[in-house]
Amino acid sequence: MSVQEAAAIVQDARACARRELVISAPVVYAAWGLVWLLGYGGMWLSVRGQHPYRGPSGVSIAVVFVLAGFAAAAVLVIARKAAVGIDGRSVLYRRFILAAWAAGYLILLIVQAVISGSVSTRTLAMMALAGPLLLAGLVYILASVLGRNRLALALGAWLVLAAVSCAWQAPAGILATCALAGGGGFLLIAAIETRLRI
Amino acid sequence: MTADGGLDPVIHGPVRLRVMVTLATLRAGDSLSFTRLQELLGLTPGNLITHLRKLEEAGYVTTVRSGSGTTARTSVVLSQHGRQALDTYTATLRQLLDSASPNGTSTSPHQQAAAPD
Repeated sequence: MSVQEAAAIVQDARACARRELVISAPVVYAAWGLVWLLGYGGMWLSVRGQHPYRGPSGVSIAVVFVLAGFAAAAVLVIARKAAVGIDGRSVLYRRFILAAWAAGYLILLIVQAVISGSVSTRTLAMMALAGPLLLAGLVYILASVLGRNRLALALGAWLVLAAVSCAWQAPAGILATCALAGGGGFLLIAAIETRLRI
Repeated sequence: MTADGGLDPVIHGPVRLRVMVTLATLRAGDSLSFTRLQELLGLTPGNLITHLRKLEEAGYVTTVRSGSGTTARTSVVLSQHGRQALDTYTATLRQLLDSASPNGTSTSPHQQAAAPD
């Protein structure tokens, strides 16, 4: 086997293994980026001009759930395909991250339910709208630590900053921040990941 | 133990090189099932076993058997020693390609392929 043939085999085997065994991060980031951008963008458009604030329309909320459902299903299919036959640390990490996400959402819902009668509409709106953004940021920071991934750390830190900035905004501003900073952050990281893989 | 200008002869075979590169794509500590590896490389079980045995003798991979009967499963793990050996192999490959090119610079896709992760 010549040196050139060996190099070709390395290139081909590496591309094949990455295609089959590695979760496509750009697709995952892009899917969630579109959920935030289109879903929260739709809710933002539905509350613009509301005086007083009454909350997003039922249709815009339903759109978020539909988009999130599609994104979750797509990510699940991609992750399952890549995980076939693999066992070890990465499987444990993935389960841990999923559990952290589920626990985080559960805590968020419980806290909202507990304080719903004793806080202002603005505070409740902030928790309901910016809470998931904060949670996503924290989960990406956790994932970056486990997987030693700088891009995930950058995304997590950006999402946390965006969520914290919501504390000083009106509900319409919170929705705009979630759509543009949240969705934009995911899509930017998807673009960077794609460029790094080429 | 070198051949072809310093390339490790244990790795320097089409099938074993594919096995090593495929396993190196996984995170350190992860294992890949024998059947999945066989499916990815398009090999017969006997052929894959032969090559895995050579890699195992060199300490580059470890095969782990778990379960019994219908739930029996064989997995393959790239050892730390194996990962280092592949890094050395790809670095040597790149040097050889660099020295073979007229201006000594690595620009071809094949040379990019030899770059370690």
